[in-house]
Amino acid sequence: MARIALIVGALAAVVYPIPLQIQGTTYYQTVGFLVFVNAMLGLGWNVIGGWAGQFDFGPQVFFAVGAYTAGLLYVKLGVDAWLGLPIAAAMAALICAVLTYPLTRLRGHYFAISTVAIWMIAQPIGATWEYIGAAQGLFIPVKPRSHVVSAALSLQFAGPTKALGYYYAALALFALTLGLMAWVERSKLGFYFRAIRDDQEAAEGIGIDSRLYKVIARSITAAVFGAAGVLYAFWALSVFPEQVLELNWSTLPIMATVVGGIGRLWGPVLGAVILIPISQVMSTTLGTGPLAGRGIDLIVYGLIIVVIAAFRPTGLLSLPWGRWFGRRRSALA
Amino acid sequence: MTELAQAVVNGLQMGFLYALVAVGLTIIWGLMEMINFAHGEFLMLGMFGAWWLSAGYRLDPLLAIVPIALVMYAFGVLVYRQLMRRVQGGDPFTQIFATIGLLFLLQNAVVAGFTSDYRFVNDTFLQKLGGAKLTVLGVTFAVPLLLAAGLALVLFLALYLLIERTEFGLALQATSEDRDAARLVGIRPQRMFAMAWGLGAALVAIAGAILVNFFSVYPQVGLQFTVLAYAIVALGGFGSILGTLLAALLVGVIQSVTVVYLPPAFKDAFVFASYLLIGLLRPQGLFGRF
Amino acid sequence: MRRISVRLMILTALIAAALAAARTAPAQQKVTEVLIGSVLPLTGNFASLGQQYLWSAKTAEDIVNNDYADLQIPLGPGKGFPGLGGAPIRFIVRDDQSRGEQARTIAEQLISVDKVHWFNGEGTSGITSLLQPVLESAGIPMTCHACASPTLTEKGLKWFFRTGPNDKTMVASVFTFLKEWPEKGGPKDLKTIALFTCDNLFCQDNRKVATDLAPKAGFKIVLDLTTKTGATTLASEVQRLQSANPDVLFNVQYPAETVVFENDAKRAGWMPKVMATSNGAYSDQTWLEAQKKTNGAAGWLGRDPTAIDLAQERPAWKKVNEIYRKYSNGQNMGELAMREITGLLWMADVINRARSVEPAALQKAANETSMGADKLIIDYKGIKFENGQNVLATGVVTQVGWDGEKHTLWPWDLAAKANFKPIFPSPSWQERESKPKPAS
Repeated sequence: MARIALIVGALAAVVYPIPLQIQGTTYYQTVGFLVFVNAMLGLGWNVIGGWAGQFDFGPQVFFAVGAYTAGLLYVKLGVDAWLGLPIAAAMAALICAVLTYPLTRLRGHYFAISTVAIWMIAQPIGATWEYIGAAQGLFIPVKPRSHVVSAALSLQFAGPTKALGYYYAALALFALTLGLMAWVERSKLGFYFRAIRDDQEAAEGIGIDSRLYKVIARSITAAVFGAAGVLYAFWALSVFPEQVLELNWSTLPIMATVVGGIGRLWGPVLGAVILIPISQVMSTTLGTGPLAGRGIDLIVYGLIIVVIAAFRPTGLLSLPWGRWFGRRRSALA
Repeated sequence: MTELAQAVVNGLQMGFLYALVAVGLTIIWGLMEMINFAHGEFLMLGMFGAWWLSAGYRLDPLLAIVPIALVMYAFGVLVYRQLMRRVQGGDPFTQIFATIGLLFLLQNAVVAGFTSDYRFVNDTFLQKLGGAKLTVLGVTFAVPLLLAAGLALVLFLALYLLIERTEFGLALQATSEDRDAARLVGIRPQRMFAMAWGLGAALVAIAGAILVNFFSVYPQVGLQFTVLAYAIVALGGFGSILGTLLAALLVGVIQSVTVVYLPPAFKDAFVFASYLLIGLLRPQGLFGRF
Repeated sequence: MRRISVRLMILTALIAAALAAARTAPAQQKVTEVLIGSVLPLTGNFASLGQQYLWSAKTAEDIVNNDYADLQIPLGPGKGFPGLGGAPIRFIVRDDQSRGEQARTIAEQLISVDKVHWFNGEGTSGITSLLQPVLESAGIPMTCHACASPTLTEKGLKWFFRTGPNDKTMVASVFTFLKEWPEKGGPKDLKTIALFTCDNLFCQDNRKVATDLAPKAGFKIVLDLTTKTGATTLASEVQRLQSANPDVLFNVQYPAETVVFENDAKRAGWMPKVMATSNGAYSDQTWLEAQKKTNGAAGWLGRDPTAIDLAQERPAWKKVNEIYRKYSNGQNMGELAMREITGLLWMADVINRARSVEPAALQKAANETSMGADKLIIDYKGIKFENGQNVLATGVVTQVGWDGEKHTLWPWDLAAKANFKPIFPSPSWQERESKPKPAS
């Protein structure tokens, strides 16, 4: 059952933008792009938040690190995205590890504030550091590539297939992240993370170095956020501190993960697939025309979130999908 | 030397205001351990309420404190009963999620009703005092701000007495420490939580009514004050009322003194950097019970 | 059984895709309405700016679609576009919540789904520069009339136009005034200046230009402070300004922070001899109106797009303001709205001259613009483009008087007509409190 859903889903994801391309309505491809970027961020956040169970509201800093690193490598040294991305992700993970280790002395809500602290310190740095462009930001000039493979590797898509290219790039990165997370979930790392979440003292009792594994978890999250940041930078073609350090880059993935089901592999994916199209539709229908400027779409969006939280706190993945789709009793029962 | 002293005094005065903003969060988050992303919106609602009563009914914000506190208390209880109670049993992240939804809802409801334009109150009691000053030993105290800070301190002490010396306060603390044990001695935890939310909302709304004398009012005004509030609650040690006051004063002074010598854009960054430094030396905050 | 249903599902998916693709594209048809796509920050941090742009759009739509026979501005008389057989204009306005990726996505929606003919937005320079590559790639004209960042028209784009001046011109007018003032009866002892700007793109652009122009105008920069946007207190910053004791303060802050600054400066009892500014609070009509209750803005000087005090002589300005007030809950056109409406009416004129909504025709008509000052409600010298920037966009320097209204100080010919004696030095806080406040 799950495998069929997976194949259908994968197929739908690959085929989805094609009719849109023919029709020329590339906007829907971009919505898909946003869904995959946020799903990817959600998957990344799930490591530190869902599996390791730590309150982390600061991973947007590593999103910014990724965006700036790859952007700077490209602008100053001409390094293309395919090489810039792993370097940026590694840089994000490294900076995260160095910063997080001392912070792991703090527990629970104290740790949460420390993640916010890093974010609050990053903001004026981003706004005033001249080398990375300060408040004026960093511009990423487009160099149109003749060959489609070259365009893909440098994340520089141009012309009428621009949105299509970014869609598939996001899909590819998302699939990679999903595969990586599936592996982590089943690995010893995943086991250690969940042990720390469920009972840190007991985990330490059986010899798990909770500080080390919290750092590892957060660094994985940082690497994913950094990679997504690279994708964003080459899509937006500019990196502004206000925009890459926005709190939304972590609250939206957190919301998606919670809606879908926190701690479950597919939670962030389901959440992103639901929340983003809803907010787009709300914005188009209620945030436009005579109602424009009154935030009605956001009121409705807020209401939807509140209702989901109140009536299905464990996330939508925990709904009895199996029963609804008439799953026959498994032979293994 | 007077420059430094002046900066310290300025910081302390702001600190008292920050303390009043933060203490509502101390009750909800510190004592009841419920993360509230919408704290800034409660502040904003208090400010809008005070503005509306002042602009429409010529009611001075300091007098408006009473009706605003009552209305926001009821609102806080409502938020708990209808929303937070349902998410309480589950994952803490669901609570966060719920309060984020609440944030969208409240902020944009105000945008829908009032637009995002700036509003100002005029001719309030504190504003009419104008530029009245008190100078002691070369340091200047602006009377309106001094009075506001004084009022914040008085309210703070009243709250401290409420929490530490009344039965209600002790019941609140008991529920926070051990819900089941509290139930055993006849305290109804659900009632305590509802009252905590009401109290928390009322307190920060009162802070709003005081702030309205000095700041412009608009739907997005909450975040800049409350981001400091989170740091203050953690720095003071979750759940410690006294800790909140001292942490707030410390935050005010750090903000003020660092900017005299260092780049002002890093004002809040210095506060949070201090939090990290202090946190590393004392992970439970100044007065937290770990 | 399982294998069959998998095949079935794959087949279904492919058929669905083929059906979707088979929907034909709409056939070419006569223009029944001209669609202007607009992305604005209607909620979020920049919402107070966004709503002024929204009101401007509604005003422009009203002017074009209705017959205002006596209104001698582009598309005033007559309904709709005469050059397109009377087709009306329709603005499709969407909110981006002040977020870049949201704006970027909605822009694509407007282009590829709504198929707009022209794009106007976003209103803030940062997000606008995010949108430029999208529109450039789509080959549709794009405008942001009130966006001030010089970089927007320095990228060699072919589809972006700006009728309003940029920061270089705007800050230059303030410094030109300050430099020429001594010879025209102004104070001769202004030597030092301090810069006081917020940390985001808009303020920093102004700061960069000022750091360049201030020395050229003969000023020594004694302090250059970048403050945190959204600061809850500026007391220590004011303390530092007080110690540096500049003759002139060049202040670029948003309204909320300006109010904080005013309160802290009042507490410190400090006022420089000259309060100079560029946009920010000075452009915000709400802030200006609020200052009438406290004399807070008296003596502040800054750039404005038009000599507002002399605009009374322009019936066109009065009429447009009347229409604007219908949509703005009674607020007068502020300077942002004036820049925006001027630009939108120019856009309507381009579409009308092009007699078409084909992008190439629009681009050509836009580049060929040679509009005289008489057609404008604003004091530009006219509209003529070089690399997408209107090179005739200038402005005046105004000062707020004790009546709470702005009066023209520069250029000197207009100042003579305005006949306003500049307030110097900037009044102390006691004076502001004791003098009568303009009734409001």
